[in-house]
Amino acid sequence: MLEIRNLIASYGPVLAIRDISFTADAGKITTVIGANGAGKSTLLRVISGLEPATSGSITWQGHSLLNKTPEAIVRLGVAHVPEGHAVIASLTVAENIEMGALFRRRAHKQDVRVAISEMYALFPRLEERRNQLAGTLSGGERQMLAISRALVSRPSLLLLDEPSLGLAPLVVEQIIATIKQLCISTGLSVLLVEQNANTALAVADHGVLLSLGSVVADQPASLMRADSALRSAYLGY
Amino acid sequence: MFKYKRTGIRNLAIALIFTVAIIALGAILDPYNQGQLAVVSMLFIGVLSVTLLTGTSGQISLGQGALMAVGGYASALTILNLGLSIWFALVMAIIVSALAGLLLGFAAARLTGPYLAGTTLVLALALPSLAIRFESVLGGDVGLNVDFGNPPAWLVSAFGEIGYEQWQLYATVPLTCLALLATANILSSRTGRMWRAIRDHESAASLMGINVSNNKIFTFVVSSGFAGLSGALYGLRGIVGPSVYPISLSLLLLTGAILGGLRSIAGALIGSALVVFLPDLIEWATRPLALSEQIGNYLPGLIGGVLLHLTVILNPGGIAHALHRHKNK
Amino acid sequence: MDTALTTLFLGTTRGAVFALVAMGLVLVWRGAGIVNFAQMGQAMFSTYIASSLIISGHGYWFAFATALIAGALLGALVDVAVMRPLTKRSHSGILASESMRATVPVIASLGILGILQSLAGMLWAAEERGFPSPVSDVAVKAFGKTAPFTNFDLFIIIVVLLTLAATTLFFTKTGMGLAMRATALNPEVARLSGIRIGRVRTLSWAISGVASSLAGLLITPSANLSPNTLDLILIVGFTAAVVGGLESLPGSVVGGFILGLLIAVVNVYDAPDDVFLALLIFLLVVLIVKPGGLFGSKRVRNV
Repeated sequence: MLEIRNLIASYGPVLAIRDISFTADAGKITTVIGANGAGKSTLLRVISGLEPATSGSITWQGHSLLNKTPEAIVRLGVAHVPEGHAVIASLTVAENIEMGALFRRRAHKQDVRVAISEMYALFPRLEERRNQLAGTLSGGERQMLAISRALVSRPSLLLLDEPSLGLAPLVVEQIIATIKQLCISTGLSVLLVEQNANTALAVADHGVLLSLGSVVADQPASLMRADSALRSAYLGY
Repeated sequence: MFKYKRTGIRNLAIALIFTVAIIALGAILDPYNQGQLAVVSMLFIGVLSVTLLTGTSGQISLGQGALMAVGGYASALTILNLGLSIWFALVMAIIVSALAGLLLGFAAARLTGPYLAGTTLVLALALPSLAIRFESVLGGDVGLNVDFGNPPAWLVSAFGEIGYEQWQLYATVPLTCLALLATANILSSRTGRMWRAIRDHESAASLMGINVSNNKIFTFVVSSGFAGLSGALYGLRGIVGPSVYPISLSLLLLTGAILGGLRSIAGALIGSALVVFLPDLIEWATRPLALSEQIGNYLPGLIGGVLLHLTVILNPGGIAHALHRHKNK
Repeated sequence: MDTALTTLFLGTTRGAVFALVAMGLVLVWRGAGIVNFAQMGQAMFSTYIASSLIISGHGYWFAFATALIAGALLGALVDVAVMRPLTKRSHSGILASESMRATVPVIASLGILGILQSLAGMLWAAEERGFPSPVSDVAVKAFGKTAPFTNFDLFIIIVVLLTLAATTLFFTKTGMGLAMRATALNPEVARLSGIRIGRVRTLSWAISGVASSLAGLLITPSANLSPNTLDLILIVGFTAAVVGGLESLPGSVVGGFILGLLIAVVNVYDAPDDVFLALLIFLLVVLIVKPGGLFGSKRVRNV
């Protein structure tokens, strides 16, 4: 279980998160939705250790994630796919995936090999392009690569930031379906940040709605989907 | 943090106090220390060129010594070939080195940080090659002999007998004072504000309508003029030649500017005094220890390096900044 | 014809050493965003260590290995003791401005250079020392003819080629090499992948230290050892790195060989005194005509 209590954090000089508390259940997809500037991305960056928190607490399966470096937080099973298909353009596809598993390669040599081949099974298009530079991939392929880079470390919690950004609806659907499949088959927990609330709520188990850095709704996704008043007030449709 | 208000009167007062203090000191010190004090006044102008270039506009140059050499050669050639007085020669030095700065500025405006540092370092190394290449004019390895000449009669009648070192000092001080006032005016002017804007945020400055590259070139021209004047005075002590302007001279100026405080005139003065007198001070302090010559020779370098480090890591604003902070507490 | 061949071989041997120096600079630049002006000071220090070991009766290869290890440790020490504290403070006071963040590490590295040179002067006397080469410095003879290069030239080229091959293998075939490339290209994604970028950076300082110490060991038999001898090599290496684009390891190697040939040509056909003048002109031409270097990316360098 991911537990966030009274979290306050700034993004540069801006107070981006003012007192956020919620929990995300293990093995489920929890989506964090809200308008641009609601603090969604900052929240993920604080969880994965890229930005410091001012105060509050974040625990994942009993481990505190606060004041830890991103390198240490990955080792606790939390993998972050930042916004904008974060891959390294001048490394090959294979190298990008291998990079995600580097820290485990000594202790779990065999399993790393298995994990890498699982990624190619999950996204066969990556296997076809494994020796190409990541910079030559299409937007959808890059997102798949970024997700594989995170998944290959066998995380228990996946932080996904705007996977739909700039992608064709069909590709988004395919990626989201793959993630959902993974949750069901492996018990992976997902914290999905999305601006596209429809897509996110369709697949998520639970929804957290942020506005100006605070939680305004925290309820099952099905309820949130049905709440037209909430949608028109905060999401504008 | 750094305000330049009400600066006009204050700067004039500082300059006046500085002049009186130097002249008084010059009258009581022995010839060796008069000479050292003259070097402080000369290098102060050179350190001010670093204050303007690096402290105010954020460009780093490891080749200020080379620009000093340009000034030195320009003045020496004016004296030796045109037969003009040292005062004409000094003006010539400023003009020629400012022109050299213009050329350098064109290249430098495109470079930042380490690129600029490396390129100016190569420049400092390449200049002695020119002296050797054009040996008939520039005097090759040995250099050209020049001097401050004799003190004018009215000065001797006013102060009594004036030694050569004392005359060096008295001839330099008025020019140092002018350089000080000029720097103060630039720092408090609109130009100074633009330079600081470029230093702090180049792209933002450019968005505000500041012509970044023209300003960078202009900074180089002004700073080079200062360096040239400093170099001409430095050479007039006896010789203008490659050995007078080694690469270590450029580093000495930078060290002085950092130790004293990269962003203030007071810092430049403290820094110049520090780098000139530090070796003497260390020699005096370690005399009871009877160190071997080998250690004694290298101790100033070691202590200078350590001080540079401590300053950069613990107190990047330099001594002037620390004093300022202390006063404001 | 003979002069041309001699020039070519002289240029290649010197170029091999410059390539090492340039590679050392590029490694730290890519890994930490710093041009390390103290690099050849570190190399000078470890070469003095080797020289002292040889004087006290140890064998060449023992001294050689010790110097390389010393180079690695010294590089790591510079990072941990100086550069890391500096970057930690980089958001306060005078370091807060863009331009100063690029400038202050340059000043710090000059401080290190000063400290190392003074220490070396105190420890190992001021007079120049010779430094032995592991093979005889006589011209190679084959088929009854005298070749325009010596055994030692051959040794230098072989050592440098082996080093370059080992470096290439390291970067392309090992996990640590991948981690180093990832850290240089995109530190944020590297950290999110669990790469400890602090250690990786220290390692790039260490490898750079080994490369430059090797350069020091290879160049001092044909120069002499004194606290300042290797400064000029640094300048040539810097020019080579800029010619190669500063970002690119292969570029730095090619840059090194180009500079070696340029300097050999100036030395043989013109006069040794003009070397730095030629260097300055060449550097300025490259920076004006092709600011990204011959192998650099198209990325604008001042953003």
